[in-house]
Amino acid sequence: MNTETPGLVSAEIDHNAQSDEDFRTEVRGWIEVNYPSHLRFPIERLHRRDTRIWYDRLAAKGWLAPGWPKEQGGMGLDAAKRVVFLEELERHGCSRFSDQGVLMLGPLLMTYGTRAQQDYFLPRILTGEHIWAQGYSEPNAGSDLASLRTEAVLDGGEWVINGQKIWTTLGNDANWIYVLVRTDKDAKKQEGISFLLVPMDAPGITVRPILTLGMSDEFCEIFFDDVRAPGDALVGQLNHGWTMAKALLGFERIFVGSPAQSAYALSRLETMAGHLGLFGDPDFRSRHGRLAIDLADHISLYTTFVDLLRRGEPISADVSMLKINQTELYKRIAQTLVDYADDYAGVEGLVAELGGVQASAIWLQSLQTTIYGGTSEIQRDILAKQVLGLPA
Amino acid sequence: MDRVESVRMIRDSVGAIAPAGGDLRRIRALRADSVGIDRETWQHVVDLGWLALLLDEDQNGLGLGVRELAAIGEELGAALVPEPVLAVAAMVPLLSETDRRKVLDGTSIIVPAWREAIAQVDAKPRTVAAQGKVTGKKILVVSGAAANAFAVSTTQGAVLVARDAPGVVIDLQRTQDGGQSATLEMRSAPCTPLGGDFDESIHLLSLAHSAYLLGASERAFQMTLTYLGIRKQFGRLIGSFQVLQHRAAEAKIQLALSRAVLDEAIADVERRASPVDKTRSRSRAVARISDTAMLIAREAVQMHGAIGITDEHDIGLYCRKILAIYNQFGTASANRARYLASLELEPAA
Repeated sequence: MNTETPGLVSAEIDHNAQSDEDFRTEVRGWIEVNYPSHLRFPIERLHRRDTRIWYDRLAAKGWLAPGWPKEQGGMGLDAAKRVVFLEELERHGCSRFSDQGVLMLGPLLMTYGTRAQQDYFLPRILTGEHIWAQGYSEPNAGSDLASLRTEAVLDGGEWVINGQKIWTTLGNDANWIYVLVRTDKDAKKQEGISFLLVPMDAPGITVRPILTLGMSDEFCEIFFDDVRAPGDALVGQLNHGWTMAKALLGFERIFVGSPAQSAYALSRLETMAGHLGLFGDPDFRSRHGRLAIDLADHISLYTTFVDLLRRGEPISADVSMLKINQTELYKRIAQTLVDYADDYAGVEGLVAELGGVQASAIWLQSLQTTIYGGTSEIQRDILAKQVLGLPA
Repeated sequence: MDRVESVRMIRDSVGAIAPAGGDLRRIRALRADSVGIDRETWQHVVDLGWLALLLDEDQNGLGLGVRELAAIGEELGAALVPEPVLAVAAMVPLLSETDRRKVLDGTSIIVPAWREAIAQVDAKPRTVAAQGKVTGKKILVVSGAAANAFAVSTTQGAVLVARDAPGVVIDLQRTQDGGQSATLEMRSAPCTPLGGDFDESIHLLSLAHSAYLLGASERAFQMTLTYLGIRKQFGRLIGSFQVLQHRAAEAKIQLALSRAVLDEAIADVERRASPVDKTRSRSRAVARISDTAMLIAREAVQMHGAIGITDEHDIGLYCRKILAIYNQFGTASANRARYLASLELEPAA
């Protein structure tokens, strides 16, 4: 199995020529056999130590990078088939793996990287030799990302990087990181930012995991202290990193609005309610009914965005609606879960008295969803300014 | 001494166990402790005389009431003190002189065990006590790891059951604030009857506990206001953004409602209001404060942004505490239902 090179396997079948239903059946069957059942519907982001087996199985099957072209080792799926693939992963509750390389860096290199960068990095993403982290946010540049201060200066043909990144998802699993750095301090905020590729074992890099409220170490702080990277670590043009990073947010922006999280939480709420006999309580029935309808309505909205993708059309700023609506619905469901868990609301782990539901963990995790990936407040700003065109 | 003065003095005395400036290092460290309280602090509590707060002065008590107990609760909540001061103080008036002495000198911790079912606030106990033996099961016993004995409600009135008595099995579950919630199973365990009015003690405790929850919420709100005044994004203090100002204002309204309702419930106890009136004001107070505490927990984390979802920031300690205790006297929904049910008892005018 491991002797197969990723590109060859998917080349055997032209998935785009299959009907959606045939493709769906094939994908579903394969996921059910190959996805580790104990990793279904995780609440927190899973570490590479857990998801590696899934990464390797996808890689061996040639299914790691559905959106990449076949000649780069991807599946070369058209938009409609990518949607099917995504839907099946979500239906089964598949965890995201260490996917920054596949989702973000790979497409960015294909668009902006040199041939040498593509030839070196892309195959190593597909084998899992390189696991990438994304170094964007900084302590004083979170919502206001463009005010980042980590800087890189050229010294004898090498970049010297100093500064600090934070909220780096699974930074402790990565052996490479792509970072936005300031390369021109005199330029306007969004200008003067460049995009560099840095190995995590470079001298001067320190990684410090940050525990979340759920006591998960899925985020890290990364310190750069005179870290040296070769001149060709730069991707694209100098001082154009911000534009590139923004342009990259394409297909995967749909992730932020996926109903999977809310659907899972609602199913947990229903399990608990069944166990506690809550469906006989009119107050609970009213709250549950509202949440169930809110979820169905969210799926309707989500579907309109998925249909855009299916037709190969771009997703624009109004996708912020999906993120706000999904994460806030998820929080309402999580809130209902603990509100009706009575004084078991704060008990850790799977609580037998609640029908085996981990209410406290879901609630604590739900709090971060309206913060990461752009807070609800930032998303509303985007809607107000970019979509509605209201004055600044 | 008038009530205003006694409340002020009692608030000041909390400084003895809750360091000024909101230092939560002790609280943080205790999360990893298997018992969840520390003996040195408990001895301070004993020395301050708080456990005798509800005892009459002729019984060597402070002769104070629920207002002062709630004042202590609010201060303890603001400092997230995990020791079961309120629960033990509420049980003391029910104890025999011998048991009382052991509690008041710090050798024994006695907490109530009254809940048998969840999602119900008024279920009558099914635990049975007869001929000095008690059989039944209590759930959600707070400070279950620290208690030496339990004040247990039964069909025959409340009884005292020792932790190490034969026939007692205790199962502990960890809670997100580092506490331990106990399930207490008693099979023909020896017990002794308690005096006084157990239900009234639980009533007082529910108000003092609500004050604790309100104190924690108020402090979390203050921390958030402070943060809004120092954190800058886009070149401005985030507290200058109108959307955050309005949401802070909304939280303030809910806190003011909570305090007003709690005051009314306390006043109802003091003026010996009818059981129906007391039940109504208590139900409103518990429901309102539960909802407010949760609103504050969510908004405090959201307004702190990413730092708010880390374990290392203290706002998370408030968030976890609120989650762990906001339903202790029943869910907001169950308390509202009890309020509404009490209205139906009255004949239409």
